[in-house]
Amino acid sequence: MRWQALWSAGRAIGYCSPARPTAGKNIVRGFAAAIRSKQELPPGSEFAGKSSLTPRIHAKLQFLQQKHADLTQRMSGDISQLDREEMARLSKDLSDTSNIVEPYMQLLEQYLELKELQQMINSKDPALRSMAQEERENTLSSIATSERKIISALLPRDSAEQAGAILEIRAGTGGDEASLFCGDLLRMYEKYSQLCGWKFSLMSIVNDGEQVKEAVAKVSGRGVFGALMFESGVHRVQRVPATETQGRIHTSTATVAVLPQATNIHVDIKESDLRIDVFRASGKGGQHVNTTDSAVRITHLPSGIVVENQQERSQIQNKERALQILRARLYEKERQRLANERRASRNKLIGSGDRSEKCRTYNYAQNRVTDHRINFSLYDIEGLMNGTALQLVIDQLRIQNDLDELASME
Amino acid sequence: MPRSAINNTLIPLYRKLSQKLGEQQAKNELRWMTEHVREIIGETARSDHKEATHKAARIWRNQPAFSEAEIEQTNKRFSSVQWAWLRQAVSDRVDTNKPLQYILGNQPFGKTKIVTRPPVLIPRWETEEWMLRLASLVNEARDGSHKTPLQILDACTGSGCVALGLASELNADSACITGVDVSSQAIMLATENMKHNSGLLRNKVGFRQLDLLHERAAGELRSETGRWDMIVSNPPYVSKAEYEVLDASVRDWEDIRALVPMLNQEGEIHEDPLGISFIIHLAKLAKSMDLSCLRSDDVSTSIPRLVVEIGGKHQVEPTCQAMNDNGFSLTEVWKDMAGTERVVLGYLKM
Repeated sequence: MRWQALWSAGRAIGYCSPARPTAGKNIVRGFAAAIRSKQELPPGSEFAGKSSLTPRIHAKLQFLQQKHADLTQRMSGDISQLDREEMARLSKDLSDTSNIVEPYMQLLEQYLELKELQQMINSKDPALRSMAQEERENTLSSIATSERKIISALLPRDSAEQAGAILEIRAGTGGDEASLFCGDLLRMYEKYSQLCGWKFSLMSIVNDGEQVKEAVAKVSGRGVFGALMFESGVHRVQRVPATETQGRIHTSTATVAVLPQATNIHVDIKESDLRIDVFRASGKGGQHVNTTDSAVRITHLPSGIVVENQQERSQIQNKERALQILRARLYEKERQRLANERRASRNKLIGSGDRSEKCRTYNYAQNRVTDHRINFSLYDIEGLMNGTALQLVIDQLRIQNDLDELASME
Repeated sequence: MPRSAINNTLIPLYRKLSQKLGEQQAKNELRWMTEHVREIIGETARSDHKEATHKAARIWRNQPAFSEAEIEQTNKRFSSVQWAWLRQAVSDRVDTNKPLQYILGNQPFGKTKIVTRPPVLIPRWETEEWMLRLASLVNEARDGSHKTPLQILDACTGSGCVALGLASELNADSACITGVDVSSQAIMLATENMKHNSGLLRNKVGFRQLDLLHERAAGELRSETGRWDMIVSNPPYVSKAEYEVLDASVRDWEDIRALVPMLNQEGEIHEDPLGISFIIHLAKLAKSMDLSCLRSDDVSTSIPRLVVEIGGKHQVEPTCQAMNDNGFSLTEVWKDMAGTERVVLGYLKM
């Protein structure tokens, strides 16, 4: 509504073309050709300030937009010619690309909006200028949202990120003070989980009152691992401990490890990977023999697992049972592998727990939290420790991580 | 007269069986036999008063009453009737080569449990395998969109296993299956099996005695229903020479008519070293039954019309030839789990 009012005000004094909405769409479309010829940013984006979308990403987005347009045209045309498989493939592609392209179209329009607002800000009318100024703030924040949407849609989703997580916190160097801080961290994550609507359940805890030596918690909910995955590492605290009598500032650490909680391991057995042997099958079989030897042996060639079954009187049932056993064994093997991987990644995540190897510092004296990986400081230690401000840090980590991944992606 | 302890264990029975079958197989068969005997002869025939005297004696000797474990132990023991059955079974199996399926009296086949009785042919696992494969193929080809049920003829149905197996596996009311056999014993057993498995059947099944070698067989079948869509068969395919050297459990117990094709119409005896004369006859019969006159829109060309079990690689070539000669322009061969060529399927091209 506000935009409508502003827009009509702008039109009244001649800043916008009367046919703005359609013109805007045309510009959005026409821009596709322009950007592919030479790498340039879409109109209006120069006013958006620091953007996380590089020209290269813009080029990629343009390509996707073109693909989306082609797909839409094909789907709206004569689809009776296509067979079912083709149809399914097309509609999947379409929905995949529209996840990215739709926020991008929004973004392009927001850029144009911004451009017009910029023109209004430069105008002489003070009322219009302040109104436009205000509107600009809104547009900027919605641009940021759109950019985030695009980035997260561009990145391939790791299925583990949607899963729950196992959170492990251990007191590091610093004695009693370290275990006090460990307890503080545990409470912080518990409150944060509550705020996010996740289920936080302690699996094991070694504590002495407020002092927590070690705690393992299961956090389940949607996207838990995706949010908490950056918490792994050494957390350093600098404060005057409750145990300190002379008011000196101590530095202690706690280590945090966040591991994905594999909910379902998918076991896929391909027919071509199996070798099925029917015992003593050298003869002619069929009517020639009246065998009661119903043993079936299945060899899973990639893993070398051999399963044998002769429990039932029917070969067919034995084969089914052998397949079930094989599936269970493969599942167990996969689970074992994942557990080993998890152990390895935990060691990698935590490091040695030394004071200098920190990923984040909690400085109580300066009311400051600094994440050393992204050089991000937040001056609200109270809010962080009661879980409310943790989201801000996690958002920053997320964006940085996404951008790093995008940069490494072709 | 009390028996010695060794007599009341399974060890001597196991020894006897293992001499014939080998250790592993003897173990399996003995397990199936004991499971069976518990099932059919049921509760032990131990009388209550015998229990009572035991109890009294224990009380007299200041012994505690039977513990749970002891009761279970006694329940594990076989009654004398069960022991007698087991001894007879092992002796039949070893001394007279009686097939285990005849001893136990049934054989699982797909979802169904087929009653087996000499001399009707025992269902083989190879047959079970292709029956299941065929059923899933037909189910896939006719995914409920077709209204009229398939008319399927099971030639040489024997115990009725293929007909009943298909009836239980195929989509409900998608087929109407008729099993025919030359043997009246087979038809009786097949009808019995139909009753036993009636809860599993999702399609109509019927059995009738018919000699397919008879010159009027095709005409009779044609007059029975308006049309036939598919013929499935596990026909006799063992040649005379092979029959002589067959395993005793097959040769001595199963009906020769189910094993060896005997084509001696009008007194002439064909030379048939490959044992395929009945298969050829079946292909001719299929042609004369006008399988090909079907409306193409009703039954898709993707399902086979003539499905015949064969004895191995040596029969593939002549069987395909016979099918080609009789209008089945496309043939396919399926191997069984053991890697032997087992089924030939003939398709009609529209």
